[in-house]
Amino acid sequence: MYVSPIREPLIRGNKDYSQVTKDILAPMAGTPSKYWYMGIALALSAALFGAWATYVTLFTGIGSWGLNKTIGWGWDITNFVWWVGIGHAGTFISAILLLFRQRWRTSINRSAEAMTLIAIACAGFFPLIHMGRLALAFFIFPYPNTRALWVNFNSPLLWDVFAISTYFAVSLIFWYVGLIPDIGTVRDKATTKIKKAIYGFLSFGWTGSAKHWSRHETVSLILAGLAAPLVLSVHTIVSFDFATSVIPGWHTTIFPPYFVSGAVFSGFAMVLTLLIVTRKALNLEQYITVNHIESMNKIIILTGSIVGIAYLTEFFIAWYSGNEYEMFTFVNRAFGPYAWAYWIMMTCNVITPQLFWFKKIRRNIVLTFIISIFVNIGMWFERFVIVVSSLHRDYLPSSWSMYTPSVVEVGLFVGTLGLFFTLFLLFIRVFPVIAIAEVKSVLKTSGENKNHSEHE
Amino acid sequence: MNKYITAYYLDEEKLLKGLKQVKTKGVRVADVLSPFPVHGIDKVLGLRRSRLTRVAFAGGAIGAIVGFGFQTWVFTSAYPINFGGKPFFAAPSFIPVTFETTVLFAAFSMVIAFFVVSKLGPGNKPVIHDERVTDDRFLVIVDIPENSSKEEINEIEKALHDAGAEGINYKA
Amino acid sequence: MVSIGLIALAYGFFAGLGGERISANILLNNYYFLGMGLIGLFFVAVHAIAESGWQVSVQRIGEAMSTFIPVAGVLMLLFFAFGGLHSIYHWTHPEHMDEILLNKAPYLNVPFFYIRFFIYFIVWSLLAWYIRKSSRNLDSLNDISYFHKLRKFSAIFIVFYAISSVMSSWDWLMSIDAHWFSTLYGWYVFMSMLASGVAMIIIILYILKRNGYMTHINNEHIHDLGKYLFGFSIFWAYLWFSQYMLIWYANIPEETVYYSERMLHFKPLFIANAIVNLAFPLLLLMTRNSKRVFWSLIPVAVIVFIGHWIDLYQLIMPGAVGGEKAGIGFLEIGLTIGYVGLFFLVVFYSLTKAPLAPKNHPFYKESMDYHTNY
Repeated sequence: MYVSPIREPLIRGNKDYSQVTKDILAPMAGTPSKYWYMGIALALSAALFGAWATYVTLFTGIGSWGLNKTIGWGWDITNFVWWVGIGHAGTFISAILLLFRQRWRTSINRSAEAMTLIAIACAGFFPLIHMGRLALAFFIFPYPNTRALWVNFNSPLLWDVFAISTYFAVSLIFWYVGLIPDIGTVRDKATTKIKKAIYGFLSFGWTGSAKHWSRHETVSLILAGLAAPLVLSVHTIVSFDFATSVIPGWHTTIFPPYFVSGAVFSGFAMVLTLLIVTRKALNLEQYITVNHIESMNKIIILTGSIVGIAYLTEFFIAWYSGNEYEMFTFVNRAFGPYAWAYWIMMTCNVITPQLFWFKKIRRNIVLTFIISIFVNIGMWFERFVIVVSSLHRDYLPSSWSMYTPSVVEVGLFVGTLGLFFTLFLLFIRVFPVIAIAEVKSVLKTSGENKNHSEHE
Repeated sequence: MNKYITAYYLDEEKLLKGLKQVKTKGVRVADVLSPFPVHGIDKVLGLRRSRLTRVAFAGGAIGAIVGFGFQTWVFTSAYPINFGGKPFFAAPSFIPVTFETTVLFAAFSMVIAFFVVSKLGPGNKPVIHDERVTDDRFLVIVDIPENSSKEEINEIEKALHDAGAEGINYKA
Repeated sequence: MVSIGLIALAYGFFAGLGGERISANILLNNYYFLGMGLIGLFFVAVHAIAESGWQVSVQRIGEAMSTFIPVAGVLMLLFFAFGGLHSIYHWTHPEHMDEILLNKAPYLNVPFFYIRFFIYFIVWSLLAWYIRKSSRNLDSLNDISYFHKLRKFSAIFIVFYAISSVMSSWDWLMSIDAHWFSTLYGWYVFMSMLASGVAMIIIILYILKRNGYMTHINNEHIHDLGKYLFGFSIFWAYLWFSQYMLIWYANIPEETVYYSERMLHFKPLFIANAIVNLAFPLLLLMTRNSKRVFWSLIPVAVIVFIGHWIDLYQLIMPGAVGGEKAGIGFLEIGLTIGYVGLFFLVVFYSLTKAPLAPKNHPFYKESMDYHTNY
């Protein structure tokens, strides 16, 4: 396959195949560095805070939260949507970019998918705990029961149950099928007997046979084809939670594609945040290059601009509709008591990503890191604005109210952050963070020592 | 256990060239083990395109029918109940769940079929010919018929050698 | 073919089909083929900034399609200036204004409408011209600086188009039903245009290949176009469903009025629209091979082309003409054929102006030498 010489190489340093294996497996070997221990200690203590908050919620009830009868959804749903959004990048990278034949995805898809799975787990926690009686959570599934009841298939909240669990399950097998050949590599490179046995078990007996590879490629491709609309459907259905209602600021037809775009936007921001640190800490700068970061920044600016256009469209149509409630909600968002949240959202989501129009900034790692944090914050506030500012002043001015989260709610959020980073830190010790086989397959055409020999 | 010869290459382009060359000499290559999928090898080895896509389609079709049918059954006959003035058969409401079951069934049926036909599974213990096939070696396996003479085996080895293969190894 | 269109138009006048029906038909076709031109340009621009390799091989088709933009602009201006505006948009009638329309008057008024009209067309046409010129210079002068120029103009176009496509759909289509509104509308219309635009690229490619041109195109390129047609059709259906489902579910009268009109008076077309534009591409293009060969791809492309014409018909007719007076007869079909003729005339004339294979594009060689497993 010919690759134009004006394209930048995707893998730096003149690598051969065994060097690639060695570099990528290196972080799994030996004892972890002291930074890793510090990181996991911090993450675990955050998770502990969350465990306490969970305990309080379960044994006191959600009365321990700051919700009131006007604002029935607060941080919990904000966090849920935020985490689900973050969980969109991994499958987007591996499914949609695979279909679009973007070769740069090979260096980042594995860790992004792992991040997706962890983020979905964090997301699923919030609706579960909001149910109050966690032990009865299985009621949300349609199973034959003695009460002869079925679940309400008309409810977007139930669609969510299906969407999130399907997304998690399909992402998991997609990730694992992709991981199997690499686990085979780990198995064959393992030095101790125990490791060999464990990875041997997990590798499903992978040998790299041509027949298996051929099927493996078909399976990956079809899974990508299935996962691509699945990614869209998940955040679409999350947006239906809001948009099927008749609450001004929630009921608007643009929500499905706009939520999806926002999800990919926040997901890429989180991938950048994680990978900028990971590549440095694990010495993978030659695999996750500035070129990769620039490509991700381009996706950030694309999705960020789509989100920006959606904000403006909503605002314009709120006026254009001539609906006074709709208009009030939007004016209240921008200039009411929660205006600070609105303007944080606008600044972080619409204005700062526009800096990526400059190539210098796109390729500047420190600035990218800062902007990615901004986007993470901005997208959290976007959900906060949508959830709280639409609810807090409804049709009945006598019920107008304000919302402040309690320490328990903060604890739950911090706890999921802790859980997220704990699991990610474990992941980088247990599995290869970069898809070894996939990187090798693009090494010849996109490595630094590209040779342009014409083969079939 | 069959008799076979293994040999390896360190480069996929040389591998492809070599495979084509030994093919002209009448050597039948049973399998190639490689660290990553080598493009064009399907043609050389005469592998057919995988038919797993059909499994996925069938799974998806079943998923769609089950998903839509189940919701219809629940709302029109098993437990009809009025939600927000919507009709019992509220087709637009059924689409999201139907879509999810379609994808779920398609994905799982295909992946399970992949593991079954490839005889892969947790705890499966394969014969590992060379630990470097998952690293940087492209291993060629040539099966030897039971009743082959010494000369025939030598001939195959020579053909492999001429085609640039390394580490030619006869295993009985 | 152009003459058939003119005959159909004359027939419309003399058969007394009513000014609204004639106007609505002109708007329909003009918008539809303007959309083709814009998608041609969008297709080139988006691939230029995404650094896509394969698309270089069909780039000339998109560029040629974009030359229709100014033609459509002039026709549309003439049409609006000579009564079309008044006949289609009831917000232009001062006597029909009510409270809601008065509220919208700062946006929906005739002078501002024309100002926006000119801004869209001038910027679109200029950028189309610049993009075409950079692309041709890149080829004939073999100077890499034009490659960067091409990308720069493409980026400007994408940004401008992201806003203008949404706003122009409000101006020309959504304001027909002046009371009604939907935030998704602009993106929905854009996806409809994108699906039919890709269908048009496939049709033009087929015609060129039938006549012995475009020999550098192989099955891989056709496959990619087929995938686009497949994917965009599904995405269009997704937006159709999102808009319909949300309005159906919330059941707010000021929104549902839009769909109830269509389901009362245009029911067969309303159902056909959703089925034709999703089911045919989805089922017929699902397998790999059907996306790679013309004999299965061309029928689908033609179906999608007709299907999205019906889609646009659905958007325009109920509001502009109404259930009693609208129909599909010689006027509709003849005028569409006329527009197809005019469009092909412009596009094929433009295609003769430059070599069909941009040999000096830095990605040309890449575009010629790739094959995928999927």
